[in-house]
Amino acid sequence: MFEANIRKPLVTGGKTLTDVSNDICRPIENKPTKLWWLGFSISFLLLMVFVGTIGWTTWEGIGTWGVNKSVMWGWDITNFVFWVGIGHAGTLISAILLLFRQKWRMSINRSAEAMTIFAVICAAMFPLFHMGRVWLGYWPLPLPNAFGSLWVNFNSPLLWDVFAISTYFSVSLLFWYLGLIPDIATVRDRATSKARKFWYGFFAMGWNGSARNWHRYEVVALILAGVSTPLVLSVHTIVSMDFATSVIPGWHTTIFPPYFVAGAIFSGFGMVLTLLVIARSVLNLQDYITVEHLEAMTKVVMLTGSMVGLAYLTEFFIAFYSGVEYEQYAFRNRAFGPYWWAYWTMMSCNLLAPQVFWFKWARTTPWFIFIMSIIVNIGMWFERFVIIVTSLHRDYLPSSWVMYSATWVEVGIFLGTMGLFFTAFFLFSKFLPVVNMAEIKSILKSRE
Amino acid sequence: MLDKKLILGVYDDGDKLLNAVIKLRKKGVEIMDCFTPFPVHNLDRAMGIKRTNLTVGAFLCGMTGFLSGLLLQFYMMTSHLNTFKSWPMIIGGKPMDYSMVPSMVPVTFELSILFTAFGIGILFFIRAKMIHGKIAQILDPRQTDDRMLLAIEPDGLGSVSRSEVDSIMNAEGAIEIRERNMDGSSDH
Repeated sequence: MFEANIRKPLVTGGKTLTDVSNDICRPIENKPTKLWWLGFSISFLLLMVFVGTIGWTTWEGIGTWGVNKSVMWGWDITNFVFWVGIGHAGTLISAILLLFRQKWRMSINRSAEAMTIFAVICAAMFPLFHMGRVWLGYWPLPLPNAFGSLWVNFNSPLLWDVFAISTYFSVSLLFWYLGLIPDIATVRDRATSKARKFWYGFFAMGWNGSARNWHRYEVVALILAGVSTPLVLSVHTIVSMDFATSVIPGWHTTIFPPYFVAGAIFSGFGMVLTLLVIARSVLNLQDYITVEHLEAMTKVVMLTGSMVGLAYLTEFFIAFYSGVEYEQYAFRNRAFGPYWWAYWTMMSCNLLAPQVFWFKWARTTPWFIFIMSIIVNIGMWFERFVIIVTSLHRDYLPSSWVMYSATWVEVGIFLGTMGLFFTAFFLFSKFLPVVNMAEIKSILKSRE
Repeated sequence: MLDKKLILGVYDDGDKLLNAVIKLRKKGVEIMDCFTPFPVHNLDRAMGIKRTNLTVGAFLCGMTGFLSGLLLQFYMMTSHLNTFKSWPMIIGGKPMDYSMVPSMVPVTFELSILFTAFGIGILFFIRAKMIHGKIAQILDPRQTDDRMLLAIEPDGLGSVSRSEVDSIMNAEGAIEIRERNMDGSSDH
């Protein structure tokens, strides 16, 4: 295939096949660095905060949270949507960019997929523990029970969500594991210790790189990408239906599905950038995750940020144009009511801030991209807070208008899921290759 | 089968391996298999591997998921299958007949995808004869790292002489040619 020389190489530093294995396997084959231990310890501490606060919630009940009968969804569902959104970048990168033959995905898809899986685990914690009696968490499953055949309600978007999230989690896990098999086999065949040979050998499932298996493997990867693409779009669509199929002003809008999907991609890429800007320098991966990669991702951030911004403005316009008083009030209240600060944080972080990526300097300066990615994460958290809390705290009946603020338990649970997420990510970076070696080896000579 | 000898050409570049395969096949040599650390483009076509019909399997699994989704919901939510053993679920006065089909779309869709993905995953592992804990048949420990192997069975040579095969492999840049048993051991 012809590739113009004006295009930059995907992997810099003139790496050979041997270099790729050596560089990527280094963290696995050596003792972890001090920096790794520091990061891991902090994350683990936060994870213990999670265990403590979620334990207290389970013991004492949902009364430990600030939610009340008007604002019955507070930080919990905000955090749920926040984490599910973050979980969208991984499959987007590995599935949609595979279908579009975007080769730059190859050095970031592994870590992005890992991020997806950990983020969805964090997300699942919130609705599960919001049930109050978590030991009855299997009740949303369509199981025959002891009360006659009383089944779950398939008219409810909350049940669709159960199916969507669990399908998304398991399919992403399969996709990720399938991608890992050839690399696990590489680690197995390089292993010097018996334990490593055994465990990586166990999970490599006897992979030997035969061309017949590679042929099947590529077909399977393509099909998985093909089904994951509509899946990733459906998941956040269904999450948005949790809101959009209700009749609460500010929720009951048809724009929600595309708007949520754009927001999910936006926040997902924000988190991928947060992680990768750090990971590439801590793990010395600058030749694999180059500035070109970061630049490509910032372009996606800018595009999806603008789409989300357009959705905010469209919502406002439609509320005005519909002539429905309740809708109009809901939106006026969002921007100028008691939660105005949340609304304007959301607007400035999601719509205005990403516009700096029109400038080449902003797209190619890692430390600046890192700061921007944090801003995007904050903005997207506030978007969910604005949608959920401002719509609920003042709806139809003024006598039930209330204010909501989180308690220390809710803050602790949220910080705790950060701990869960980063602990999992640190373990991943120690025990599994963070870059897809097999795919990188196939594009060493290609250009972007 | 394990004591069968193999002729192995060792390469360090996918393109060289591909060229060697094309040349050898033109001469009528039957290639047993190639072992590469990454998927070499067009190698499967050059080796004459028949396109896998895993895609058909994926479609069938997807259809199974689609039908299971519909069946599940018709069974649980409506009386069309005459399955109401006890309590029909009347929620918000919503109908329990074909007019609830739009509500069935999300779950049916998700189950179709779930069945397709896991179906093809499992079929792939069966076809590739892979299972957790299986001991890999490795001819050279570097075949999953930075070397590519071209394996020919001695009776796959056809009318081509052994020295001619060696010279073709060498001309395409083989760094080594050696003989191995199927289980990876050498007997000299």
